[in-house]
Parts: sequence; structure tokens; C-alpha cells
Amino acid sequence: MTTVLLVEDDPGARQGLELALRRLGYQVRPAETGEAALEGIGQDAVDVVVLDVMLPGLDGFEVCRRLRRGSDAPVIMLTARGDDFDIVGGLEAGADDYVVKPVEPRVLDARIRAVLRRLARAGSPAETHGELVIDRGSLTVTLRGREISLTPTELRLLLVLSGSPRQVFSRQQLLDLVWEHDYLGDSRLVDACVQRLRAKIETDSSEPRYIQTVRGFGYRFGPV
Amino acid sequence: MRTRLIIAFIVVALLSALASAWTFNAIHVWYQSAFPSWLSDVIQGPWRWGEPRPLRSGPFGPPTPAYARPPTPAAALAFFLAAVGLLLAVIAGVAVAASRRVLLPVRRLARAARHMSGGDLSVRVEPRGRDELSQLVTSFNAMAASLQDKVGELERMEARARQFAGDVSHELRTPLTAMTAVADILPGHPGLTGDAAAAAGLVRQEIFHLNRLVEDLIEISRFDARTAQLVTDDTDVATAVSGCLRARGWTDVSTDVPAGLTVRLDRRRFDLIIANLVGNALQHGGPPVTVTARAEPHGRGSGQLAVEVRDHGPGLPEAAIAHVFDRFYKADTARARSEGSGLGLAIASENARLHGGHIEGGNHPGGGAVFTVTLPRGSHPSMSGMVAQAVSAGL
Repeated sequence: MTTVLLVEDDPGARQGLELALRRLGYQVRPAETGEAALEGIGQDAVDVVVLDVMLPGLDGFEVCRRLRRGSDAPVIMLTARGDDFDIVGGLEAGADDYVVKPVEPRVLDARIRAVLRRLARAGSPAETHGELVIDRGSLTVTLRGREISLTPTELRLLLVLSGSPRQVFSRQQLLDLVWEHDYLGDSRLVDACVQRLRAKIETDSSEPRYIQTVRGFGYRFGPV
Repeated sequence: MRTRLIIAFIVVALLSALASAWTFNAIHVWYQSAFPSWLSDVIQGPWRWGEPRPLRSGPFGPPTPAYARPPTPAAALAFFLAAVGLLLAVIAGVAVAASRRVLLPVRRLARAARHMSGGDLSVRVEPRGRDELSQLVTSFNAMAASLQDKVGELERMEARARQFAGDVSHELRTPLTAMTAVADILPGHPGLTGDAAAAAGLVRQEIFHLNRLVEDLIEISRFDARTAQLVTDDTDVATAVSGCLRARGWTDVSTDVPAGLTVRLDRRRFDLIIANLVGNALQHGGPPVTVTARAEPHGRGSGQLAVEVRDHGPGLPEAAIAHVFDRFYKADTARARSEGSGLGLAIASENARLHGGHIEGGNHPGGGAVFTVTLPRGSHPSMSGMVAQAVSAGL
């Protein structure tokens, strides 16, 4: 059963979302504050975090940043405003996706499923691209012999891009393939995730070798 | 103004010089006897010096000295011109100085007034001296200060009102989150029968309606607060239009969009524009509803995108055409409330404006209402910082 860590300070919204998620078959661990959430995630396995931005004490951005240090659980931001400031701030802090309050349970369900979706393990041997080794069988990525810890979204993005080296993917295509968003996804999700991925695998993020920008169109993997 | 003043000054000065010359001539007989001869010589000028003097000259007197000889006509003319020139120069100098004194403050006031009408209410003029002009400057400054206060007060009040509308909408979202999360549990629940089931259905429906209204209020408050931003992408118009219609299940809307027409725009906002116009046409107009898009050359830029949404209903009442984009405007007052929030067309119009374009509403000569969205194809004047960020991030 999938365990959701739900961080929301408003009791009504917290109870409502907890009820809705339970009915959808999730196990829910509610937390009232960011501090409580950070404690909770240390205790036992959490599959996905649904995190409100506006929290007393530590705000959602800070909680997300701290979560990222010790956990690769995907984070879905719950933005009360839907304002660009919240969205950009959340994505910079490392959120995998965001939904705008009030969110319909089926939409939240679809987003949770998407960020948790594991790519099918392939039987093919590990591919080597420069100093980067991508093993689609064990779903691990190693850079210069050291394994890199990636969130599911980052891993999916890397696997999709490296699956067709040199092919250019538009941001909308990537939203569809990686985030499973409908045709109106927010392309900033892609940009933010590319930035995070580059920070982990590129030697110099400003001159990326693996994930290259095709100006005005999108991204491609290589040529290395 | 200044030139005229100087000319008038010169004319008056010349006239007074002439008058004084006449006066001298009238009294020179008197002063010739009253003053010593060398002084009256000086006063009377070279013409008098040149005349032979009755007492000293004569066949037996000493030879006429050089200064007493009559001057040549050329020397007399030169003297005359030099004198007139000097006089003019002095007069002009005095006139310029005087006009500067009068005109400079006036000019500074004019400049300040221009700045003020250009919107800069903080402009002030430094008063100099104690004359009427400096009083005018002081009054001008007082007026500017009170105007600035009033405008500032009005702006603060407006900002507070907008902030309030935005805050209220945000606050409504939290309880709505809880209600939306549980709304789906109500309908079809076995514990609810009869009136209770009907009531539950109504509550659920109204929760979604309230959601839409709050969403639209927040959207419009972002435009009011000028925090709405564009996130642009190269977008295939045909895909965007068909996607918009498909996502909302509007299968009976026909489209005519050329393939391969790509425009740089904010996809979400473009989607909102089309959805609001088509939704409006379906609800208030009559079928069939058509969406037509075409590229139009325009000026030196890369042209415009024109999207036309037309229905075949009765068309807009003449009195409504000027108001269709007003918030909560309802052309048909008999219809107390529609499915939408009453903000749809206002939001569509704001979104078009954010792109540097506009929407026009009117009636088609062939019947039915027609709304035309015009968006620039090239760069957008109000392009956001977000896009700049994306650019610096490497896209």
C-alpha cells in the first residue's frame, strides 16, 4: 500500500484530503507542521509527500529542501495560490510536481500515480555514455563509478532522454512522457527537473554535456 | 514671446533716445551760454566741434586745430553707426537680462507642468526672489503637493480594495479544499436517499461552481495586482485549439486552422481565451459554433495571429456590445445566473492584453455573434521575468 505523508496545517483541508486519499486506497500519515513532517519521514518509509506551501514555522519550500537532503521520495506541492511565485519557489526547492488548491481527489490521485510510476526494468545491458553508466535493469545510474541518488521523476526524465540519444524532445513531449500531464502541463516542471538532474550528473551545469538544451525547442541527450 | 518682448524693448528705447535728442536740441542754445565752451562742445558732439568758432577763427587767428576741422562725411557716418550699434547692444543686453528674469521661472513652471501631466507628481519648482512669479511658483508647488497626496491616497485605497478581493479569494480556497476533497463521497452514498440524496447532489454541484468562481476571482485579481505573467512556448495553434476543445468535450465545434501555424504564446492562457470564448458561444449563442484561425501580416513585425469564434445564434444586443467584457456583465438579465462565473470574457480579454493583443466582440453580417482574438506572433511586450529565468537557465 502506498504511504502518503500529508503536510497541511489547516485542520479542515487536512481531514478532507486524508479522507479522500484513504478512499482512493492510500495509507495517509498526516502532519500539521513542517517540523512534524521532517520527524515523520525519518521514522518509516514514505512513498510520496503531499506538501502545503503555506505552513506555520518552516514553510513548504524549506521543508522540501530539507526532505531532499535525506530522502528521494517524490514531493507534490499543494499551492494555495497557484501563483507563479509559489510554483517557481516549490520547483526550485526540489518539488517533483504541484497541484493548485482546491484540488479534486482524482487529479491528486493521478499526479501521485504519475510521480510514483516505476519504469519497467529492461533486460538490456547497462549503457555507457562518457562517464555516465545507466543500467535499465537495476534502474541505477553511476557517474565515475559512484552511484547517484535520483528521485523517481529525475530517473524517468534521464531514462526517457537517454533512451533516444540525440533525439530532441519538446518540453510538452517530456511533460507527457515523464509527468503524464494532459496537454496543458506547465513546462517549468521540465526546466526545474532538468536543472536538478544537471546539478547531479554534469560537471559544469552551465555547459551541460549529457542533457543539452536545444534553444527554443527543448532538450536532448548528448551527443556525448 | 521672448523675441517680441526684446523688440518692444528696443523700440521703446530708440523712441526715448530720439525724444531726448530733441530735448537737447531745444535747450542747447541755453546751455551753450550756461556752460564753459569745452563742456558744451562735448555735449553737442562732433558736428559742433567741426564748426568754425566765431570768436577764435578768422583770417588773423591761429591756424584751425585738427579737432576743429569739419569731419569727413564717412567719419561722421561711422561715428553715427558706432553710436547706434553701441546703443542697440546695451539695450538688447538689458532686454535679454530682463526677459530672462521674467521668463526663466515661467519656463521652469511650464517644464514642471509638463512633467506633471506626464504622470510625475513629485515634481517641484524652486522659488527664487520675492516677486509675483515666486508666489506663483509657491502656489504651484502647493498644488502639486496636494495633488500628489490625493492621488497617493486614492492609489492606496484602490490597492487595499484589490488586495482585499485577492485575500478573500485566497482565504476561500482553504475551506474549499476540504469541501472539494470530500464532495465526491456524497452522491450515490447508500446512506442518502430521497431529499437527502438530492440535497447532497446539489451541494456537490455548488461546490464546483464556487470553485470556478473563486478560481476566476483569483485569476482576475492577479491581473489587477499586475502579477500575472506569461510563460511562453512555441505553440502549434491547430494542436492548441483542438486540445482545448477535446479536453472540455466540445465535439460539435468545427475548426478551421491552417496546419503548421506556430505562434509563441502562453499555452495555458491561450487555452483559457479559446475555452472562455467557445464556452460563451455555446452557452449564450446558437449552434453551430466555429473556430477559425489565420496568420495576418502586420507592419514590420512577424505579423499577427487572428482567431475568430463565431456562433449562429441571435447575436449580441446592440447595447451589450460595449459591455460584454465587463466583469459580471449579463446581457440577458432574465437569466439570473449562468454556469460560468460571469468573469470568463473579462479574463479572456485580460489574457489577450497580457500577450500584447486584444479581443473584439460584435455581430457577424451573416448572423450570430463573433469574437476575434488578435495576438502578435513575435515578441511580447509584457514578457515575464519567468521567461527570462527560463532563458538564463538555458532554454
